[in-house]
Amino acid sequence: MITRELFWNLNASAITLFYVIGISAILVFVAGCLRHISKYRRGRPLLDKPDYWQGLRNLVKDLATHRTLRRRDRWAGIAHGGIFFGFLGGAIGTAIITLEYDILYPAFGLRFWNGDFYLIFSLILDLGGAAILFGVLFMMWRRAALKLMKLDYLRSYCGELDLRPSAKAWKREDWFFMIFLLAVVVSGFTEEAVRLYVDQPEWAHWSPVGWLLAQILDSMELSVETATSIRSVNWWLHGVAGLGFTAAIPWYKAKHIISSTGSLLVRDSRALSRLPMEEGDGQLGVNSIDQFNWKELLHLDACTKCGRCHEVCPARTIGSPLSPRDLILDLREHNDACQTRPDRLVSLTQGVINPETIWACRTCGACKEICPVGIEHPTLIVKMRRHLVEQGETDPMIQSVLETISNTGNSFGESARKRGHWTRELEFPIKDIRKQAADVLWFVGDYASYDPRNQKVSQTVARLLRAAKMDFGLLYEDEKTAGNDVRRIGEEGLFESLVEHNSDAMSGVKFSSILTTDPHSFNTLKNEYPQFQETAPVEHYSAVLRDLLASGRLKVVKRLGRKVTFHDPCHLGRLNGEYDAPRAVLRAIGCEIIEMPRNRDNSFCCGAGGGRIWLPDTPGKEKPSENRINEAATLDIDVFVTCCPKDLTMFEDARKTAGHEDHFEVADLAELVAEAVALDSLDLGAVPEVIERLTDAIATKVADALVDKIAESISARLEGMELATSPQALPPSEEKNPRQSVKADGVSVAWQAVPLQALKIPDYERPEKPGVRILVAIKHVGKLGEEFEISPDNLSVPDEYKDFLLNEFDDNALEQALLMAEAIDGAEVVAVTIGPEEAEVTLRKVMAKGADRGIRIWNENLEGADSMTLARILAGVSEQENPDLILTGVQSGDIANSATGTALAGILGLPHSAVIVGTEWDGSDRMTVTRELEGGLQEVFEMSAKSVLTVQVGANTPRFASMRMIKQAKKKPLIVIEEVEVPKTSTGMQVRRVYVPPQTRAQMIEGSADEVATKIGQIIRANSGA
Amino acid sequence: MSGILVVTEHRHGEVSAITNEVIGAGLSMKKKVGGPLMVLVISDCPNTYANSLSYEGVDEIILARVGSDYFDSKIYGEVVLGEAQAHQPELILLGHTVNGMAFGPALATQLGGGFASDVFEIDCLEGEIVATRAIYEGKAFVEVSFPGACVTVMMLRAATFPAPEEMAQVSLSQSSLDLSEISADTNHIKYIEPPSAGIDIAKSEFIMSIGRGIQDEEHVSRFAVLADRMGATLGCSRPIADAAWLPKAHQVGLTGKVAASCNLYIALGISGAVQHLHGMKHVDTIIAVNTDANAPIFNVATYGVNMDIFELAEALERQFN
Ligand SMILES: Cc1cc2nc3c(=O)[nH]c(=O)nc-3n(C[C@H](O)[C@H](O)[C@H](O)COP(=O)(O)OP(=O)(O)OC[C@H]3O[C@@H](n4cnc5c(N)ncnc54)[C@H](O)[C@@H]3O)c2cc1C
Repeated sequence: MITRELFWNLNASAITLFYVIGISAILVFVAGCLRHISKYRRGRPLLDKPDYWQGLRNLVKDLATHRTLRRRDRWAGIAHGGIFFGFLGGAIGTAIITLEYDILYPAFGLRFWNGDFYLIFSLILDLGGAAILFGVLFMMWRRAALKLMKLDYLRSYCGELDLRPSAKAWKREDWFFMIFLLAVVVSGFTEEAVRLYVDQPEWAHWSPVGWLLAQILDSMELSVETATSIRSVNWWLHGVAGLGFTAAIPWYKAKHIISSTGSLLVRDSRALSRLPMEEGDGQLGVNSIDQFNWKELLHLDACTKCGRCHEVCPARTIGSPLSPRDLILDLREHNDACQTRPDRLVSLTQGVINPETIWACRTCGACKEICPVGIEHPTLIVKMRRHLVEQGETDPMIQSVLETISNTGNSFGESARKRGHWTRELEFPIKDIRKQAADVLWFVGDYASYDPRNQKVSQTVARLLRAAKMDFGLLYEDEKTAGNDVRRIGEEGLFESLVEHNSDAMSGVKFSSILTTDPHSFNTLKNEYPQFQETAPVEHYSAVLRDLLASGRLKVVKRLGRKVTFHDPCHLGRLNGEYDAPRAVLRAIGCEIIEMPRNRDNSFCCGAGGGRIWLPDTPGKEKPSENRINEAATLDIDVFVTCCPKDLTMFEDARKTAGHEDHFEVADLAELVAEAVALDSLDLGAVPEVIERLTDAIATKVADALVDKIAESISARLEGMELATSPQALPPSEEKNPRQSVKADGVSVAWQAVPLQALKIPDYERPEKPGVRILVAIKHVGKLGEEFEISPDNLSVPDEYKDFLLNEFDDNALEQALLMAEAIDGAEVVAVTIGPEEAEVTLRKVMAKGADRGIRIWNENLEGADSMTLARILAGVSEQENPDLILTGVQSGDIANSATGTALAGILGLPHSAVIVGTEWDGSDRMTVTRELEGGLQEVFEMSAKSVLTVQVGANTPRFASMRMIKQAKKKPLIVIEEVEVPKTSTGMQVRRVYVPPQTRAQMIEGSADEVATKIGQIIRANSGA
Repeated sequence: MSGILVVTEHRHGEVSAITNEVIGAGLSMKKKVGGPLMVLVISDCPNTYANSLSYEGVDEIILARVGSDYFDSKIYGEVVLGEAQAHQPELILLGHTVNGMAFGPALATQLGGGFASDVFEIDCLEGEIVATRAIYEGKAFVEVSFPGACVTVMMLRAATFPAPEEMAQVSLSQSSLDLSEISADTNHIKYIEPPSAGIDIAKSEFIMSIGRGIQDEEHVSRFAVLADRMGATLGCSRPIADAAWLPKAHQVGLTGKVAASCNLYIALGISGAVQHLHGMKHVDTIIAVNTDANAPIFNVATYGVNMDIFELAEALERQFN
């Protein structure tokens, strides 16, 4: 019969021994697997269940084609394929034999491992063995001879000079794995060769490699005895090697056979473009290794140290202390160490991963993109960032950017009103989509709105859209930064509030799709906003321009014929798979595209992602943008084309710093299109749409007819009116007041002091006093931007020119209250504000920072109330709350009376002091207070604790409200009180006039910076008498 | 009933400069308001201050002897209230100072009359006392009056009104209040002098100051080097000192140092808040650099530059190397 004897020449006890070894090996294998499973089970559960079916389909496809392994390293992929398929064949083969020999035959007397089946089986396994042999030998040669950078474990990017011990162990492990595999295959072939040599079956050529080797033995004239004894010894060698290999799989590098397969099964191709939501278990971000979810822990074990991510990482390239490979390996090592020793669990940034490593990432996704086993490095990094942000352990610059964004809605710290100012230079108005429906909502983004260079691009895009007769509009000041990079910094709370704001802004508006020029906004609007709210389809302008050119709505009148290279923005390309649209545009306008060596999915990040645009790179080292621009400089090009506002900023700068100013220019895609369609020659401002003209005409007619009548009625009204009211313009007190007006001769009548009383606040729900209660009064103040106007009646400054935020002084007052409360057990901090609904944001912010409760008081009579009236209301609240201490800021940034706090004390008859910079209080009756006097002198004194203090800026460093705090604050009680009887004024104050101070003296020095500097130099010399 | 009551401020046994300025403002208003100009001194030894307050035009110095020479907001509030009730002035003037802030507004609530703080101009128009003050960080000014009030408390901005020059014999009177009834709220423990840092803003003739416009601590050294090259002493606005980017001794302004001997002052990225101006607006030649063309600093500057300070710094570095 055509087959072979399985246990050749073995007696019963030898066979038993073999089974004992075999079963032990399987047990060791299973134990290893279980050990890993229990390791992963320590992780958190998954938030979203992966789509296992899709995962399986992708897995089979990826493994069958070896697509992920062949990318950018073809021969390694092929060699791995040899090993993989050879091993797969061997494993299936062994399983088949076991199936027949140990199950089907003993149970059912069934045999099939013979005849033709056996022959084909032999052939496949023989070729499989050959494939492994080739693969392993190639890999060994590659490691030994090629000295590939990606396979070098020396961390020279962060200045390491010697291999660390763990890296030496990795090296040994790599070689051990290859040698072990080689041993199994070589002993297998040896066995086959001697068997064929001794048995001489006529079907020997069905095992071509074995047959070949047998021929060699034959030519060596090996004696049959020798061959037979080799056969019996080697039989055991091969058997034990095979079983040993199996047993060892879960215990070293070979485990990737299982873990990488698992990792590929659960991989999420959108892991970075759509970051995971915050886990619902109250724990934010990842602090210790067991706070990753099981999938992430599995990813750690999947790494084969292939180094592809190490090679492409822009941070590693420029010598930042981050290599995605080493990050994963360090986490894995720590995870393994902690599995059985929970006492070794530490905060990851305390000795496992350097915080600098975590902040070095640009979330460009290059590592994740190239990883052959589906590891999602950036997600792990963002999760660790979330924890650091939560703990306030961020770089101070990042902190201040986050604060700026949370205050102004943009990273430039500019006023929201100026968001649409770039449109002013256009010859036509852009629709305000909040007032007028449009087809397309253009979400502009921060850089395109505020950065002067990018504003030019925005203007060009607007003109192009206008020329193509697209119907589009903007949200103007209702747009805030979309939050893509805020999320990637790890500030999930701020991100969520930005989503909420922008979604709200868009929800009341009529449009059918969103357009943006900014790939970062594009990414988050498209992929992440839908995690929270239904969002209209989003398009990047590159695709829109492509369609406009293809449909002829934009006509190319001049083919540019320029040689260009195109930089794929990470957020457009790798994260969203759009590589073709910008290239199609470039071809349509007649450019010749010369690709950089790293293009499309291998594009090299400009360095600005993941919040890194707000952090400086190490001076003296090459920046990612310079690295990229140097790459482009090796090509013969006229233009380096970008289609991302951040890219434009980064590369224009890099072109200068890297010294390629004369070599080529950096331009935005839209600018080239504008040239090709001769945008300049199109008259865009000209004819308003027919409808617009019609309505305009009608409106003018109506207005003309009405204007006289209106004028008449206005003047009639004015006559009957007393002094106009405004924020501070209040008519004389309506209260019963014995005082009388001062007469023109300056003599007053009936002098009488009438102490102000607290205004009654209706009772409201509040908790029992927990012990110490501190009341803090805070104000949502309006800050004037650079441009503003006084109201037409000259009595106020309209709110539209103000940016509202928490009064800076109150931020310090709150911080002081929180610090004091934290030092006293069970103390409560209550924040109160007098302000309209819009002030609630600020009150919420204060509660996020730590105030336990909030009270907001408002009705329209309070509009423009004087500070004494405000103090009377606060006194009413104090009567309800009966606090042990009241804090306010020294003054409010808008009106700056420095009165409210001290006046409140006056009304309540409480001790008080102003301009406090320090307090020491243990909750008892007395406290020690420091106030700041003129000239920087400080006075320390002691006073009764039940008092009102006004706190000075700089008294402390106000804390930052992080994600968790913002979340929790949403659950804190906020009471709104509207039933308050408010007198029109408490001081009889009347505003006579508000005006802009005359610019008295300054003579402006104009000209370039150098001209100004020269002039200043002259002034200095003149002044020093030289 | 009419007249003006001025409340004296003193420290370390000396009348503060602000009080002289407030008396000056009071004198300029005396005719328009009518009635006497009274100056109230509150101290454990008020007589010692009488001499330096005896200006031509002051009608009466009222001496209120209390338990301590240190300022106490309760004592000040109650004594002034008592004297106001006794003399029924139409205008009560104090300094817009830390002490003023600590009792002025509370006093106003007890009187129930008008109140205005940080007043830098005061006048009588159409029979009404009109005060001018700044709002929105000095970007706008507002004129207010209190037509319904029989008495108004006004806190006046320092370094704004000229102090009177002529001294004269002024009659002294003891307060008629029962001062033993009034007790203090606070117990003075000590004063802490601001630490010096080897520089003296008050003595420097040429100062270059940096404000929040420098944006980040890491830029401080660059401007320090530039100041050094230009031969200027490096000053700063309060936020810079608050953040400890520079020692407090560099701070110019109300709670910092006054640039008393300075004749050339360069303000880089400083908005020109009134408290900062307090320390430098008197300087002969002021060059202000700010990206905000409406920054109030331009209202006191001799020369203005509407430019990014970093851009200018680069050029200055080329100029002075
Ligand atoms: C009781 C009390 C005492 C005080 N004492 C003092 C004191 O002694 N001294 C003092 O200085 N302050 C004092 N302050 C604080 C004062 O009110 C202001 O808050 C402070 O002076 C503001 O400092 P700044 O001008 O540097 O900052 P900001 O007001 O924030 O101004 C920064 C300016 O820089 C400009 N700018 C930003 N970037 C650039 C750029 N790149 N190029 C050019 N310009 C730029 C901005 O347009 C802005 O005008 C006191 C406040 C109180 C209540």
